[in-house]
Amino acid sequence: MINFSNVTKIFKSDILTQNFTALNDVSFQVPAGSMVGFLGANGAGKTTSLKIIMDFIRPTGGRVEFSPEMGATKLEIRRNLGFLPERPYFYPNLTGLEFLYFMGTLSEISRSDIAREVAYWGPRFRVDHALGRELKTYSKGMLQRIGFLSTILHHPKLIILDEPLSGLDPIGRKELKDVIIEVHKQGKTVFFSSHIVPDVEEICDRVIFLKEGRLVYDGPVNSLLVSDQERDYVILVQGGKVLEDRAKSTVTLPDEVRRYVVPSSAKDQFLSAAVAAGGNVFSLELVKPSLEEIFYQTQGRK
Amino acid sequence: MMPSKIMTIAYYTFRELYKSKILLNVFFVGLGLVVVTFVATEFTYGVPERIALDFGLGMLSLSSLGISLFLGVNLLSKEMESRTVYMVIARPVPRYAFILGKLVGLLGIQALNVIVLSALTLASTAFLGGELSPILFWAIGFTLLESLLLLLCVVLISLLANTILSVIFSMVLLVLGHAVKETQGLSFVENHPALKALLDFYHFVLPAFHKLNLKDYVIYKKSLPLSYLLPNVAYGTIYSLGLLCLIVFLFQRKNLD
Ligand SMILES: Nc1ncnc2c1ncn2[C@@H]1O[C@H](COP(=O)(O)OP(=O)(O)O)[C@@H](O)[C@H]1O
Ligand SMILES: [Mg+2]
Repeated sequence: MINFSNVTKIFKSDILTQNFTALNDVSFQVPAGSMVGFLGANGAGKTTSLKIIMDFIRPTGGRVEFSPEMGATKLEIRRNLGFLPERPYFYPNLTGLEFLYFMGTLSEISRSDIAREVAYWGPRFRVDHALGRELKTYSKGMLQRIGFLSTILHHPKLIILDEPLSGLDPIGRKELKDVIIEVHKQGKTVFFSSHIVPDVEEICDRVIFLKEGRLVYDGPVNSLLVSDQERDYVILVQGGKVLEDRAKSTVTLPDEVRRYVVPSSAKDQFLSAAVAAGGNVFSLELVKPSLEEIFYQTQGRK
Repeated sequence: MMPSKIMTIAYYTFRELYKSKILLNVFFVGLGLVVVTFVATEFTYGVPERIALDFGLGMLSLSSLGISLFLGVNLLSKEMESRTVYMVIARPVPRYAFILGKLVGLLGIQALNVIVLSALTLASTAFLGGELSPILFWAIGFTLLESLLLLLCVVLISLLANTILSVIFSMVLLVLGHAVKETQGLSFVENHPALKALLDFYHFVLPAFHKLNLKDYVIYKKSLPLSYLLPNVAYGTIYSLGLLCLIVFLFQRKNLD
């Protein structure tokens, strides 16, 4: 769908400060039908890459190509594309419905089609009750959801989202992930950026990992990430006998609560031992890797 | 296909501005106009219809220029700052269509302002027994053209400088564009060829707003010859078109980051 090849972006600055290389010879592809996560810490160059893909800014070197199914001209390509910018902001005095009609009309769909899409997706995004209200009265989560709705109104073949999940509460994230998965199942290619590993891990089949303007990994998710079987669990137990020797580490918290770190393989045994020892197990959590850990893992494997 | 995109953008730009509080100002100016008219009829012995006319046209010109200046400076820069521009141009919309749509939408607001205030001005003038001579309509049309010219100056400058500087530069241009007329006739200027050349050059290159202002004539004349009016209309139109081309050219190439 997208062929991003040898792209370099240097931000020229004034005489006092140095030029800044935001992207350094980055190449990757987004295959048709895939769900690709674009991973990287803040400042890694994700937004810059997406702006280059969208032709909002021009690269210093390299180029971006779209596959022929997206269309031949720039306007044709944009007809088949849905884009949601980072931390989107909206015309505050338009109502939700006006905004959706505005965006849908620009994407060349009829009013009746827009009405049908809004009737279908509105309830799924829990914005249907607020469509008559001005956007300035919307919460951040609602804005993100109506923004996403506007990017899929016209059934684009390719959807590009810049940090769509950031700033949402856990329920909001779950909901948005579910619709992203649903839209992807309808055959759409999805490319979205994130700095949160579990989000990418959960829903993507491929990852492109950027660090300080360089590509450090491009491939399937499961070979980037350690499988759940190799990870640790954090288990909180209140009272009972101390089970220090069975855990990787033990920390005692107030109210006789102990925090154990237990390897995945020993989890079940540990739990039955804890219960047998008279403890009250009240939390069990899989430890998710951070960006840094993954980065060092990819470096180690090279 | 593109004209419809431009109109879509214009329509929602108009709605967005219309629902902001900007037209409230128009309402208050209009109210002020009615009050002044009333006061003028009650307390002046001279020519109340002239006061109404003078005040009305003055307010019309001031509010139109104000709309150009303060809405114009945000027209594109706010879109870029708040990234709403990305939502629009990520769709099948060429950048020139985006600009034209924004401008047409703002001109819609401008037209609404002119229609409301000039209707009130003409009504109160007529009510007070003043004559509605053709020059009044020319003056109103010229105000619209002057505001358009200022709007395009502001938008162009806002592509190159920040908001505050853009407002200041544009105001300076506006004041100079009016003052340059007074200076031309001065004998001091006539006696200094270099200064005269400089002013002529200014006149030639930068917008001569005074050409689009008929306020000085309105009170004392009933009409002006077309040989005066038409060249000035042509000047305003051609200058505006030139600015528009420049704006589109710059925006087409601009990095939107
Ligand atoms: N217009 C610009 N001028 C100078 N530096 C910029 C500009 N835009 C982005 N950068 C820099 O480029 C780097 C990458 O930014 P960005 O692509 O926004 O990162 P990400 O989206 O991955 O958080 C950052 O260090 C940022 O400061
Ligand atoms: Mg970013």
